[in-house]
Amino acid sequence: MKNSIKKYLAVVLVGMFLPTLLLAEGDPDKDAPLDALGPVPVQLDNKQTPEKIELGRMLFFDPRLGGDASIACSDCHSPKEGWSFAAPISRGYPATVHWRSSQTIVNSAYYSKLFWAGAAKSLEAQAPSAAKGGVAGNGEDDVMEARLAFIPEYRERFRDVFGDEWPLINNAWKAIAAFERTLVQRDTPFDKYMKDDGAALGEAEKRGLALFQGKANCFECHNGPLFSDQKFYNLGVPRHDGWLEDGMKQITFRFELYAKGVTEEDYRNLKDDPGLYFRTKQKRDKGKFRTPSLRYTLYTAPYMHNGAFFGLDEVIDFYNEGGGTNDFAANKTRILKPLGLTDDEKEDLLMFLESLSGEEIVMEAPKLPKYEPLAMD
Amino acid sequence: MRTLFLLFVAGIVAGMPSLLFAGSGAGQALPTMKINAKKAALGKRLFFDERLSGDGALSCASCHIPEKGFADGKSLSDAYPGTKGFRNTPTLINTVHKQSLGIPWFHDGRIGTNLNDVTRDQITETIWMNMDMRIMQERLKQDPVYRKMFKEVGMGEPSNGKVRKLIPEYLKTLTSRNVPYDLGKMSAAAEKGEAVFMGKGGCVQCHEGPLFADGQAYNLGVPENKDIFREPLRHITFVAFNMFMGNENFMNLRRDPGAHVINHYSDGRDMGKFFTPTLRELKQTAPYMHNGMLATLKDVVAFYNNGGGKDPNKDTRLKPLGLSALEQANLVAFLESLSGDPLTGPEHVYGESISQKYYPIPNWLTVKN
Repeated sequence: MKNSIKKYLAVVLVGMFLPTLLLAEGDPDKDAPLDALGPVPVQLDNKQTPEKIELGRMLFFDPRLGGDASIACSDCHSPKEGWSFAAPISRGYPATVHWRSSQTIVNSAYYSKLFWAGAAKSLEAQAPSAAKGGVAGNGEDDVMEARLAFIPEYRERFRDVFGDEWPLINNAWKAIAAFERTLVQRDTPFDKYMKDDGAALGEAEKRGLALFQGKANCFECHNGPLFSDQKFYNLGVPRHDGWLEDGMKQITFRFELYAKGVTEEDYRNLKDDPGLYFRTKQKRDKGKFRTPSLRYTLYTAPYMHNGAFFGLDEVIDFYNEGGGTNDFAANKTRILKPLGLTDDEKEDLLMFLESLSGEEIVMEAPKLPKYEPLAMD
Repeated sequence: MRTLFLLFVAGIVAGMPSLLFAGSGAGQALPTMKINAKKAALGKRLFFDERLSGDGALSCASCHIPEKGFADGKSLSDAYPGTKGFRNTPTLINTVHKQSLGIPWFHDGRIGTNLNDVTRDQITETIWMNMDMRIMQERLKQDPVYRKMFKEVGMGEPSNGKVRKLIPEYLKTLTSRNVPYDLGKMSAAAEKGEAVFMGKGGCVQCHEGPLFADGQAYNLGVPENKDIFREPLRHITFVAFNMFMGNENFMNLRRDPGAHVINHYSDGRDMGKFFTPTLRELKQTAPYMHNGMLATLKDVVAFYNNGGGKDPNKDTRLKPLGLSALEQANLVAFLESLSGDPLTGPEHVYGESISQKYYPIPNWLTVKN
């Protein structure tokens, strides 16, 4: 009897610590297989219609959805810059600068965690956060909603699409989300290859694919059809130089510490973006960011949450060296180890990464309708 | 006996202002303010600093312009870029005195009698300066001049709460100077005008006390300023404001509900009421009324002489006054005698331009944030 209790305890104990042991080995999870990207998931409470998408397209480019009516979604997610922003740190609201790299809208429909620390769970939730944040859109609901009411074409479109007597701001975010769900690029050499067109990838790209899932181990986090497990890791990405060199960036850096509600000690001492920690306030989450998709990356340089690398070749070098070092070294993922890739292998890997982007999605800004006065009485 | 003596002393003390200001309006002088000069100087720089608005476009002084009597000279105010105002900018001269007199701020009195709250409201409100004060704090901390000044006044490092104390400290310096009325140096016409003011004109019923304002709201039937509804940017601000304040039927309003924001009486008896403004410094602050509809003091006097304007809620005390042309002119002379010197010297105006360039903090990695 006593013995069997001991055995039972032993099993329980091993069971308790096994996950920890696996974590220590660096492969905690099941990796979803790579695959062609399927159609965009239907959002049951915000179904796609052509009219809604067109309205969303106009609103995406309309600076009146912001504080001083000078900055639209498209200013930081520019079609000409891969629907992102071509600087390490995104531009911000006038007289401010943002604090992270702007992410592409293309294929964002597939994420369940938007923003680098996963702060929004849907595009419908992401859009207002961006439009209202002090260093992003700095808009406010009542003023933005009132502006829409004075644009006859919007009144008509909101009535048709949502049945609004007067345009409601929450429906603006829904329309924008619907538009963003059309910004999908899944016609890539890789997708063709996965759909049984063996010739869609060349030999180098195929070797790159094998490295991706083998020696280079990219697949550990960049897996599934989106090439992202949507989990959070600290890779040791080096600190952004701008924090040291640019006064306006220092302002934003401290503002984020303040606004995100860290402790006084952290507010005084942090010198790098603690990422997921802002949301969880768990020390183990300092420096962790959500794995981004690798699709469409041909057009979205620079890379990483702080735009540390301008070329995909630099990114590969970074991983080949086993990642980097930052202020949160204790939290660096154990998955990263020096890879020992040869120059040829790095080239093959690069070729494979470039097969994930397809054609660039280009779009002109729509002509925006004007304000008109309402009836005088 | 002793009690009687104390009462006697108290009587003398209470009567002292009228002894000190022996003008014809004895007892109406503004109390003297205790001012911390260094804090006021720091508040002055903040008042003139455009970095206190979200996109760096506006300072307090953009709409409260020293040369315009700390108002803006416009019928309807400007507002944050992307919006336009729907009311007349009130003067800030003497505004601090509202606090001790219990007079609420804004034409509609929506914010009580604490200038700290008013300062916060104006800086953060979307239609005014649209500033996330947490960003403002960090901007100030980035500026070595502010860091030094805050330390010198014994306030440590810059913060939001401190700004909300310092700007009011500066506003204390904006007090009328060399006012003929206060000095007892009114013209003969003005003295005759004062008699009309106190008597036949009935002005004193509402315009009483040191600020010539009773801290109450009235409906005078001032005609609506239709520019609010002609210009979408103004009407947008009007709609957003009324939406935010919880006023009913805001899309269909074509008349400013004013002090209705305070009690929201369901029968609407508070619609269109506005708080009695001060009559001090009128010479510098045309046009007049909450919506700037009256261009000159002559127009204002004529408006009252006609018994005010038209409105279902109009105050019943407003009746045609039957003032002669001379009486009206004298009344204007009296009103003008309530204005003093412009406050446009270096004591009241921050003379240097303030750069919006932010320099990096040296040794950033090793100093505390």
